[in-house]
Amino acid sequence: MTRPAKAIAMISGGLDSTLALALVRRQGIAVKAINFYTGFCITETQRRKGGRADGTVPRNEALRAAADLEVEIEYVDVSGGPYLDMLVHPRYGYGKNANPCVDCRIFMMSRAREIMLAEGADFVFTGEVLGQRPKSQRRDTLRIIERESGLEGRLLRPLSAKLLPPTVPEQEGLVDRERLLDISGRSRLRQMALARELGIADFPQPAGGCCYLTDESFARKFFDVLDAREAAGEERRLVPDDVVLLSTGRHFRLSPRAKLVVGRTEVENALLEHHVAGRARVEAKGVLGPVALVEGEPTWEERVLASRIVARYGKGKDLPKVEVEWREDDLVETYEVEPEQDEARLEALRV
Amino acid sequence: MTATTDMPAPARTIDTSGRLCPYPIVETAKAIRTMDDGAVLLVVATDPGIALDMPMWCRATRNEHLGTFREGGAWKSFVRKRGRGGRP
Repeated sequence: MTRPAKAIAMISGGLDSTLALALVRRQGIAVKAINFYTGFCITETQRRKGGRADGTVPRNEALRAAADLEVEIEYVDVSGGPYLDMLVHPRYGYGKNANPCVDCRIFMMSRAREIMLAEGADFVFTGEVLGQRPKSQRRDTLRIIERESGLEGRLLRPLSAKLLPPTVPEQEGLVDRERLLDISGRSRLRQMALARELGIADFPQPAGGCCYLTDESFARKFFDVLDAREAAGEERRLVPDDVVLLSTGRHFRLSPRAKLVVGRTEVENALLEHHVAGRARVEAKGVLGPVALVEGEPTWEERVLASRIVARYGKGKDLPKVEVEWREDDLVETYEVEPEQDEARLEALRV
Repeated sequence: MTATTDMPAPARTIDTSGRLCPYPIVETAKAIRTMDDGAVLLVVATDPGIALDMPMWCRATRNEHLGTFREGGAWKSFVRKRGRGGRP
């Protein structure tokens, strides 16, 4: 070692980033951990909705990892406009669903580089494993991410370091390359063994990621919003409100100009109440039922259809007629409708 | 049994009601930076996750978690700022 080194750790709190953190810390390197808030984290959304179905509240794994290893942690909120613009126009394209993982990594690592410079740190490191993910962790994409983020030579992947070219901190002797690893591929057996060796017993089970963008159902809603805006002659873009609504409720596309979102639980109903501005609020009268929002410019027929769907998901679904209140700014109207019974029609409209 | 009435008087209180994970912790981190060592911060939150997050954040940052208490639909979390001496 030539001088004390300092590093920025990008951690999710999953097994790989926890191990990377432990490997670097055990070389006596001072570490500051960062965790990115994107708005698309499934765990955060579960918490926003009051926890899991079994009543438990998922813990924040990044905080847990930092606490266990006694590393200072900072949240970096990237959930605003530039991040959303990147999601809509990814330079390197999408994965299987709405996940532009390469662009997302470049975006985050560019921010990590800024933090590295501001903190006077020597390098950034991650828990990435060569070949573990089909798109963002191939050898060529790891190189692209490093180059495009401006971290060339300053991005260490401790779990796969011996399979990759030496980084600047390794060449300068700030990091002992011999104490880094050569893990590759999708198997987690070596990571599990390393966890036992390092005394790390508390970590989440690998569950295929924590990002809504990789979810097929979420991706349908994501692209539906973009396609509908484009079809209506609007700019293809996302706004922060979309992020919450995309993970909330049943979505029905009434037309390119109108969409219905129906709450599925009391917590979702309460969440939708916070997003009424600029939308119509629709709810059955006299019988219990969900809160629903309609966005866009529905025709008269689409208003009736939306009301029938809302009536169908309430306690009055088997009644011949249900009164539904349509509230839009100061305008309040009541429609008497038959609850929609045509399941095939519902499925055709469902996003 | 420890209760909010047993807690020291806070030098500063922040109300994060209505804000969701991770904002209560983000706001806690910002607030604690402005305070003197030994001073107590009271964080009011409606995100139930604070009961898990605050003790972990205090362990990670070596501040002292004095207690988190539920009061109706809100949680009150008391944190004493500690210096960073001893951090490697």
